[in-house]
Amino acid sequence: MKRLPHSPTQRIDTRHPLPFSYGGRLLEGYRGDTVATALFANGVRIFSRSLKYHRPRGLYSLDGESSNCLMEIDGLPNMRAEQVPLRGGMQVRPQNVVGSPERDLLGFLDAFHWAMPAGFYYRVFHKPYRLWPFFQTLIRRAAGAGTVNPSWEPGRYDELHFHADVCVVGGGPAGMQAARAAAQTGLRVVLLESRPWLGGFYDWRTVEHHGTPLYERGRHLARELESLSNVRVYTSCTATGLYGDNLVTAVQEGGPDDFFHQRYLEIRARAVVAATGCTERPLVFEHNERPGVMQPGCAHRLARTYGLLPGTAAVFSVGHDLGLEAAADLHDQGLHVACVADCRSDGQDPQRIAALEERNIPFLRGWVAARALGKKAVEAVVLSTTEGSATRTISCDVLAASAGLTPLTGLFSLARLPLSYDERTGYFLPASLPEGLYAAGRLVGYDDPASIELSGTAAGLRAAVHCGALDAPRADEALTELQDNHRVLRGSKLVLAPGAGARSFVCFDEDATVKHVRQSVRMGFDVPELAKRVTAIGTGPSQSGIPGHNLPLIMAHLRGESAGTLRPTTVRPPLKPTLLATYAGLHPDIHKKTPLHDVQERAGAVFRRVGVWKRARYFSSDPTCRDEILNVRNNVGILDGSTLGKFRIFGPDAEKALQRVYVGDMSRVPAGKLKYSAMCTEDGCLLDDGVATKLGENDYYFTTSTGRAGATVEWFRFHTRHEDWEYYLVNLTDSLASINLAGPKARDVLQQLTDADVSNDAFPFMGYREFRLKGLVPARVLRLGFVGELSYEIHIPSSMARTVWQWLLEAGRPLGIRPFGLEAQNVLRMEKGHVIIGQESEIRTTLIDLGLGFLWDRTKTWAKTVGAPALQFAESQEGRLKLVGFLVDGSRPPLDGSIVVDGSIRGHVCTCRYSPTLDKAIGLALVDDDLAALGSRLRIFEPGDPPEYFDARVVPTPFYDPEGQRMKC
Amino acid sequence: MFEPFGRLWKQAPFRSTYDAVIVGGGLHGLATAYYLAKNHGVRRVAVLEKNHIGYGSAGRNTAIVRANQRTQENIPLYDEGLKMWPQLMDELDFNLMFFNCGNLNLAHSEAAMGALRLQVASAQYLGVRSELLDRKQCKELIPHLNISEDITYPVFGGMYHPPGGTVRHDALVWALAKGASALGVHIHQQTEVTGIAVHRGRVTAVETSRGTIHTLRVLNAAGPWSVLVSAMVDIRLPIHVLPIQAMVTEPLKPFLHHVISSGAYHCYANQSLKGEVVTGAHMDPWISYGTHVTAHYIKHQAEALTELLPCLRGVKFMRIWGGLADMTPDMAPIIDGNDPIEGYYMDCGWGYFGFKSAAVTGKYVAEYMATGRCPKILQPFRLKRYEENRLLGETASPPQYGPWN
Repeated sequence: MKRLPHSPTQRIDTRHPLPFSYGGRLLEGYRGDTVATALFANGVRIFSRSLKYHRPRGLYSLDGESSNCLMEIDGLPNMRAEQVPLRGGMQVRPQNVVGSPERDLLGFLDAFHWAMPAGFYYRVFHKPYRLWPFFQTLIRRAAGAGTVNPSWEPGRYDELHFHADVCVVGGGPAGMQAARAAAQTGLRVVLLESRPWLGGFYDWRTVEHHGTPLYERGRHLARELESLSNVRVYTSCTATGLYGDNLVTAVQEGGPDDFFHQRYLEIRARAVVAATGCTERPLVFEHNERPGVMQPGCAHRLARTYGLLPGTAAVFSVGHDLGLEAAADLHDQGLHVACVADCRSDGQDPQRIAALEERNIPFLRGWVAARALGKKAVEAVVLSTTEGSATRTISCDVLAASAGLTPLTGLFSLARLPLSYDERTGYFLPASLPEGLYAAGRLVGYDDPASIELSGTAAGLRAAVHCGALDAPRADEALTELQDNHRVLRGSKLVLAPGAGARSFVCFDEDATVKHVRQSVRMGFDVPELAKRVTAIGTGPSQSGIPGHNLPLIMAHLRGESAGTLRPTTVRPPLKPTLLATYAGLHPDIHKKTPLHDVQERAGAVFRRVGVWKRARYFSSDPTCRDEILNVRNNVGILDGSTLGKFRIFGPDAEKALQRVYVGDMSRVPAGKLKYSAMCTEDGCLLDDGVATKLGENDYYFTTSTGRAGATVEWFRFHTRHEDWEYYLVNLTDSLASINLAGPKARDVLQQLTDADVSNDAFPFMGYREFRLKGLVPARVLRLGFVGELSYEIHIPSSMARTVWQWLLEAGRPLGIRPFGLEAQNVLRMEKGHVIIGQESEIRTTLIDLGLGFLWDRTKTWAKTVGAPALQFAESQEGRLKLVGFLVDGSRPPLDGSIVVDGSIRGHVCTCRYSPTLDKAIGLALVDDDLAALGSRLRIFEPGDPPEYFDARVVPTPFYDPEGQRMKC
Repeated sequence: MFEPFGRLWKQAPFRSTYDAVIVGGGLHGLATAYYLAKNHGVRRVAVLEKNHIGYGSAGRNTAIVRANQRTQENIPLYDEGLKMWPQLMDELDFNLMFFNCGNLNLAHSEAAMGALRLQVASAQYLGVRSELLDRKQCKELIPHLNISEDITYPVFGGMYHPPGGTVRHDALVWALAKGASALGVHIHQQTEVTGIAVHRGRVTAVETSRGTIHTLRVLNAAGPWSVLVSAMVDIRLPIHVLPIQAMVTEPLKPFLHHVISSGAYHCYANQSLKGEVVTGAHMDPWISYGTHVTAHYIKHQAEALTELLPCLRGVKFMRIWGGLADMTPDMAPIIDGNDPIEGYYMDCGWGYFGFKSAAVTGKYVAEYMATGRCPKILQPFRLKRYEENRLLGETASPPQYGPWN
């Protein structure tokens, strides 16, 4: 198809042909084309088949209002061909057809539309039930549009997160003026435009305003804006979301010169200006989606932007002056315009009517398209008076049809503003806007260029006032001028063409017709939100693109009520379907590494994610960690415990704060010694455990478990929020590393690094000392026994951790030192009967249930200890799950998570391992209290096919070294 | 069968007296009404809904059904519920689109495998089909699953529960409304309850935006609003209402044949019969009655899903929506009655499990209301358990919804 001669409105570059393939055929388009316009230029008229009836669907609009042009492009399904810029070498394929879009073998389904009333699938296929799985498979196959492509490799997906003072959505005349007005007050402005260029509906129009063609005016404004250094303009960038506190999200399509394929933007703006304009309100009549039926604006833009005549002979059925303008202009471009029908009985711009008369184009006032004729494409149209009193049939291959305009209110819907019907414009608009959100232009009903631009300026200035960059009176001036001198559009009120029924499509995506809406009302789904659910109207990829504001009007009409009694359904983000790859963006893998990560990795550590951290779990391929365990028991091992929470609390009320959250009496924390204590929830359930030492008066150092480190400051703050206490809490977790040196030879290793006396007398069990290692590295050393051996927890500055780790390894080499990981520690501590929170406890497990009740000091009621009342209450309560140690008959341990049973479920295995130290299978379990007595027999059920049963006996803990001699020696 | 339905549920006159009044036209309320009429002959029942039926959580959930819970208090209830779908489709003569595709829960660590083992053990011991799979078996089940090591949470294995699947949530609302209405139940939409009259410790009437209804039995099945309804009779419920979000992709030809979920990634996904990938799981950590959505979450979900199922990178999100979850401290519901107010019943606190349990719970709550005696299967869910510090064990680890749950 030959393109029209060059005109300055065109956006294609005929000097740059681009080859691409479509369904195996090699075709050519131009730079500046979209995939759809290039296909159209090559004679493609049927772009897809509809979801249910497999009706042929063509190019209806150019901004993604329907699924008509969904295609597979470069391996990606469901791409909107009318919005994807053409690139050389693109592979384009039709989807959801058996055969080709022109000859679809499922096309016969259209003849059976009567068999598919609204919600028909809820009443068939389920009786008898045994046949349902068969039909289910058929339904699944028939549903769905494109096919997922597992071998698709995404290109580069970028993301931007930034702040702006004013974010303007829509780069038409109103949006550009808003951005300019705001920018002139010195604010940082962002302008988002979904088309590849600014200009909005000026861009293709040659009519003049004050002596300048509108397209020129548009380009002038765009140039002016782009020259402002405090305005960032993003084109091909669609706002997809508007969230609380003006967080705008958008998706930008990368152009041929961009380094990214698509980009996700998150913009936190102080003010947002919505200037999204209008689309054309679909005219609902019989066969209103036949290929050849398109929006007048689509026909106009095909010619003016892409140099394509939409056909040879056209009939226009319009409801606004833009349609009249398009008809006259397309006539001048060489399209035979057989007739223009306007559903409005009056109110047209006399100039536009004169222009039609000059060109001898018949004009029918109060007439409307009632039916498109032709099987695969429009061949003729039946026009009717709006009351249906007379009809006339006219041949054509293009039917440019529209019921008027409809505002693109997606952003308002995202801002959760209720829409109400405006009698003058016929638009659904919010009654008022919240502070920080402003609207301008055609979106709010302004019609002529002067009003549109002035409303943009006013909105931009009001946004500037909101940002504090301008005094209110300045903005009011523009607003007053706007209100005094400019009128808003009087919109057409036509809802349905006469005779609209079973083939008049309300929603193209879901193949839902006026008949379906009528049926839905009859069934009791008589408001849009309910009708949407039963007819699926508006739930397709284009959401409310086609049905949008038509649905409430049609439903009110069917209910015999006046327009505006019902509201449109909610539009939800994203306003434009967006690839998961785009949302995922750069998607960095965020985790914390300890300062010892690399040295452990070199030592063969296998890491696991533990909360925000990666921690070494094994140092060999043996999941039982036998060697690591025995080396700690017999020689000495080192473990990286840097993730442990480490805190200093000080200030006049530090001790009170500790008393509040710890169950123990923290006034009895001695200097130079450690006190083991626990924190509970208000329910008395174990939340955290750790040790504390006193550094000075109201100055303490304490540790928490890895998982609680991040929440500890907030926990203190929350539980002291009503007190007027002064204390300071510093999280030292990341600044200090921790190395656990454990095993009978631990002292021999440590002694080599320090002159300090680390003998058992000078530095006994539960002692706390500060000294320098090799005279250089300041260390806090805690003598603890989590794994049940002589052990030291050495806290040192993170920056020195690797050095100290190496020193320890070197010093310990003759003694057989080697690193051990979390699983070895897990077994070692279990042999000692020490609990790990979350492993041996549930959210309902109290301190007492775990046998740790001795940690609770019941005398300090004055401290209002968190959890103490609950502990008191639950202390002697029967029927609770208790933690017990058990010994398995036989040497194979049941796996963690196996359950304790005796006809009903009586508990579960928390941890169970074969102990290489004791040569026995031992474990910890939470069981009903009547099974908790020493000597009780437990029957353990391990799931499987078949399941396995184990017998075990409740025994005292610790299993290993019950007197604790080894850690105290 | 090709003729359109007439009204699915009748427009009923607003009477001043009913034998039972149900507050909330969601699934639990409608199911209870249906079974009161069907099983117990209590037909003068009113369902009061302040909006439209099925407009709250019933219409916003992601329609997954399963019976692989953690505790023996819960499993039998959900198991019976799961077995009811074929029967209900027949009985209500409505295609509820029960898609018995099975559910796979992934584990991403040794500890998570242990936690799933506990669930599998409980299910198997109670006669519910559920099994543990290793990494390779997960991949066989879901060929698109990424089991490589280089993702944030590499897959260790999973729990596969063949009897589960999905049910079309709206269909269940309409089918129950249709069934209840046919048995004489009155469904009153746009009718808000404003008060409950109690005289000498006994419910006597319900005040509504359309006038007073005299009744001796009231069921609070108002979902997130149950807290407010309960406050009308001075009963405080330990329920926090949190916003929860879900989303769908554009429809695609079938490629995902099971429900897949992951605790570590905090997401689940399944493909609806219509072809959309339905996905969700996140709850906002603040109390709110706003059904808003957040930019953070849709991004999080994309990050999670593109790791687990890389084929979804080239698929588009189409719509995200928000709902409300009425969360109790132990993630188990509150079902109680006649304590301390005669005739006042509660069926609430279902969090995000209310859909799968609706039909079966309605059946037993109807029995409770008809006889005044709590059926054994519902007894673990009484309100007093919180006062007695006896939480149920449905969740093992505390939900991290700060200050402070």
